[in-house]
Amino acid sequence: MQETLQTLVGGLSLGAVYALVAMGFSLVYRTMGLVNFAHADIAMIGAYAASTFYLTSKLPFAVAMIVAIVVTGAIGLVIERVLRPLENKDFDLMLIGTIGFGIVLQAVAILIWGTTGRAVPSPVPSAPLELFGVRVRTYDLVVMAVAALAVTGLAWFLARTKRGAAMQAVAMDHEAATAVGINVGRSNALAFSIGAGLAALAGGLVGPMLYVDASLGGALGIKGFAAAMLGGFGSIPGAVVGGLAIGVLDSYAAGHFQGYSVLVTFLVFTVAIMIRPMGVFGERTVSRA
Amino acid sequence: MIRTTRTAVCTAAALAAALTACSAPGESGDSDKDSSGPIKIAVVNAQSGQLSSLGDWEYKGAKLAIDEWNKKGGVDGRKIQVKLFDDQGDPTTGTNIARKLDSQGYVAMIGTAESAVTVAMAPILQQAKIPNITSGQADALVDVGSPYLFLNGPTSTTYDATLAEYLVKDKGHKKIAMISNNGSFGKGEHDAFLKAAKDLGVTPVTDQVVTTDQKDFSSALTKIRAKKPDVVFIGSEEVEAGLIVKQARDLGITAPFAGAAPQGTPVFIDTAGKAAVEDTIVSSPYLSNDVSAASKKFAAAYQAKYNKAAELHGAKAYDGTNILLTALKTSKAATGQKLADAIRDTRYDGLLGDFEFGENGVGITKTTIGVIRAGKLVPQQ
Repeated sequence: MQETLQTLVGGLSLGAVYALVAMGFSLVYRTMGLVNFAHADIAMIGAYAASTFYLTSKLPFAVAMIVAIVVTGAIGLVIERVLRPLENKDFDLMLIGTIGFGIVLQAVAILIWGTTGRAVPSPVPSAPLELFGVRVRTYDLVVMAVAALAVTGLAWFLARTKRGAAMQAVAMDHEAATAVGINVGRSNALAFSIGAGLAALAGGLVGPMLYVDASLGGALGIKGFAAAMLGGFGSIPGAVVGGLAIGVLDSYAAGHFQGYSVLVTFLVFTVAIMIRPMGVFGERTVSRA
Repeated sequence: MIRTTRTAVCTAAALAAALTACSAPGESGDSDKDSSGPIKIAVVNAQSGQLSSLGDWEYKGAKLAIDEWNKKGGVDGRKIQVKLFDDQGDPTTGTNIARKLDSQGYVAMIGTAESAVTVAMAPILQQAKIPNITSGQADALVDVGSPYLFLNGPTSTTYDATLAEYLVKDKGHKKIAMISNNGSFGKGEHDAFLKAAKDLGVTPVTDQVVTTDQKDFSSALTKIRAKKPDVVFIGSEEVEAGLIVKQARDLGITAPFAGAAPQGTPVFIDTAGKAAVEDTIVSSPYLSNDVSAASKKFAAAYQAKYNKAAELHGAKAYDGTNILLTALKTSKAATGQKLADAIRDTRYDGLLGDFEFGENGVGITKTTIGVIRAGKLVPQQ
């Protein structure tokens, strides 16, 4: 029982990070119909940026995170700007373009920060809480709280603000949206930079839990992508459910199947996707491909 | 004398035939390995990916040795030219590099730090007759049975037999828990330690296996905690081992950890945090930079060149490169089989100990026990 609960807690905290990564994937997909394969590497840059401002510039962790989000948001804008001429013309080339950006970002990270990587000490040094024999790290609670805040904020932005509504309109029918005077390019740029900001949030938060190096994106990207698929690509609540599900599934698979856990996680994932190809909250409203 | 004549003939031939490489007919396979100009040595190591820190240390150690030799005039009057190849810690990339080394006329290779990559490259290098001094330590390297493969340190069996002996005999620990990953390094460590412990009559209370890219170890660590072990053996690379120890302390495991080379590195200590790794028991042939006069000298040169503190992997690659260069010197810059024989015959008093290669290519068969105190690895008193 104690082991089951402890495994759940471990899975949920990483699951919250996967959910953030999945949200970034979903947001860009929702507005542009494009899978941004550079997303995970933007998260890695975010993690490096946050750790640099936190460790080297000695900014408080929260401030360092905000600066990192601004930096990656700007990177998102650049990527969108470069890809914009291809919008509605060559979709495959846009996809390959995002893969290319991912590779470039990894190379840039090695150029700037070197190959060794760095460990980020936890910004919340207090001892873990003990509840019924299950130990919960205080930092994990912070991560979950920040993730929850980000989800609520994004949902509110998309549902309640004019700009958010405009982004949804572009997602449904970009020609009609253009006809009523919505600037599609600007809407896409916004989606890209918010997506990149979310990536930085995920990367920055996961830094003190893991280890920051140029390959961090690989670790986050595959699980975040699977989470987005499982929840239903393009759906924000789906990203949250998918993220937590992948995190917890991963933890339990590790406990029961040890060395074969990756295999089991992805087998379960594959079966789930075969049964419900749209994911849990999936709907086929976006088909600009 | 004969060599000098040949060089002269070769030089003339080279001048006449411009780009045609110089060699006797029938030796066309070695056409690039001409005996004039710089001696080409390759360093193959991960410069990207999760094991890039290992690759970086290795390269720094090898480069330091080569620069020192070049400063003294090189080998046999020829400069040593070194080129770094990035294998990304990936065996497939490694095999492509092995073919490249063959076609581009490299006489020897230093690296890799990754046993799986080295094992993948070994058959191609053996066929091409390119000796390789690897920093890998898995027993799988010896199983390859290539006469061109040499280890610049002990194998997992040596590391873990020494460790098991210390834990069981010296410390009297009976309740030992194990956690290791299923990668080539982790599996090697797992098998070697398990065998050593069983030989001493101790069966681990629990044997947890994790994957190489796992990030959450709650389940395995909760199982270990329930067994209340005296000590936890850890068979995993630097970063993952650091994460395991960090999470173990958060979950309330207070038993010390014990492991081999990765557990003595700064990356392991930084990842887990200083407080978490206190009392970690490490089996290593190179405990610190202050053990001997040679290690002090090496550490000072390393510090001066890179502005960083030296550690085991740099020392290993430094020893390996020095052995190779010594063999090149004694064999008068031979290549292929002759160079491999020269390496096997080289006796070298290095930073890791006295190298004396056996038929299996292993040069060191002894490690010592150290303990981490206040964030530093120090010899066990």
